[in-house]
Amino acid sequence: MAGSANPNMIQPTSNPYNQASMAQMGSMGRTAQGLNETAASGMANYQNPYDQSVVDRTLRDVGGAAQIGLNTLDAQAGSAGAYGGSRHGIAMSEAAKGYQQQALDKVGALRQQGFNTALGASQADLSRQMQAAGQLGNMGQRSFGYGQAIGNQQMQQGAMQQQLMQNLANAGKQQYQGYTGQPLGSLNTLLQTISAQPNMVGSSQSFHPSLFNYLQTAAMMAGGK
Amino acid sequence: MAKGGRTEQTATMPAFAETGVQQTAGVGTDAAAAGYTPMYGVDVAGFSPMQTAAFEGTNQMASAFGMPTSQNQGYLPPTQTIGGVTGYSSGDVYDANVDALKTRRPAQADYIESFVIDPVTGQAGSRVPDNQPVALELQGQGRRGK
Repeated sequence: MAGSANPNMIQPTSNPYNQASMAQMGSMGRTAQGLNETAASGMANYQNPYDQSVVDRTLRDVGGAAQIGLNTLDAQAGSAGAYGGSRHGIAMSEAAKGYQQQALDKVGALRQQGFNTALGASQADLSRQMQAAGQLGNMGQRSFGYGQAIGNQQMQQGAMQQQLMQNLANAGKQQYQGYTGQPLGSLNTLLQTISAQPNMVGSSQSFHPSLFNYLQTAAMMAGGK
Repeated sequence: MAKGGRTEQTATMPAFAETGVQQTAGVGTDAAAAGYTPMYGVDVAGFSPMQTAAFEGTNQMASAFGMPTSQNQGYLPPTQTIGGVTGYSSGDVYDANVDALKTRRPAQADYIESFVIDPVTGQAGSRVPDNQPVALELQGQGRRGK
C-alpha cells in the first residue's frame, strides 16, 4: 500500500491550534510525498495475492484438465491397441501442446487483467490518500478557525467585562472628584449666591448747612437791600 | 461747595429686597457647607442573565476544545439590586478612594473636609463660611457725622 497520512497522529483532545498544526504537517507531508510517487509502489499489494489466488489456481486447473485429457487419451490408445505407438505419441504431443497453449493464453489474459486491476487499485489508493491529505488540511484549517472564533469571543466578552469594570471605576472616580472638589464647590455656591442678587441699591444725597452758611446767606440778603 | 456744610450720601434698598438678599446669603452660606453627597445606589448596570449565560457557554466551548478558560473566576464584584435595578454601585469605590486619601494624605483630607460639615456628626468644619473671621470695614461709611 502506498504511504498514508497517519490519522492517529491527530489527538482529538488536543486544542484546536495543535490539531491545526498537526493536520497541516500531516497534510503537507503526505502531499509532498505524493509529488514524485507513482502507483507502481502499491501495485504489488494487489498483484501478488491475485497471482497466488487466481493465476496459480488457473494453472492448476488447466494442468489438472490436461492430465485428465492425457489419461483419457492413454486409455483410448490402450483400448485401441495403439498405446505406445507413434500415433499415440503424436496425439499425446498435440494434446499437451493444446493444453499448454490454453494455459499460456489463460495466464496471459489473467496476468494482464491482474496488472490492470492492481494498477487501478493502486492509483485509486493514491488518489484517496491525496484526497484525504487535502481533507486533513481543510480540517486543520477548520480547527484553527474554531480556535480563533473561540478566542475572539473570549476577547470580546472579556472586553465587555473590562468595560463594565472601567465604568464602575469611572463612576467612583467621578464621585471622588466631588469629594476633592468640596472647597471649590463651596466657593462656587457662595459666588453664585452673590452674583444672583438683584441690583436694587439706590442712593440719596442731602446737604447739611453750617452756621457759616447761615451767616453768609444773611449777609447776602442784607447787602441786597 | 461752600465751607462749613457737609454732603451725605446714603445707600437705600427696598425692605423686601434687603430681606431677600440677607436670606439668600444665609442659605448660600449654609449650602456651601453641605459638602459633596455621594450616591450609594446602582450607577453601573450589571450583565443580564443572557449575557452571563453566554459567558458560561464560551467557557464550556473553550473547555471542550482544550483551550484555556476563565474557570468561572469572579472578576466583577457581586451585583446588588436596589430599587429594582441590578448592577454595581460606585459608592464603595468612592469610600475606598476617600479612605485611601485619608490614609496617605491625611492633612489634605482634613483640609478639604474643613470647608464642609462632618457628614456623620453634622459639626461644621473650621473653614465653613460661618466660621470665617470677617471684618466689616465698609459698614460705617455714609453714617459719619451722625
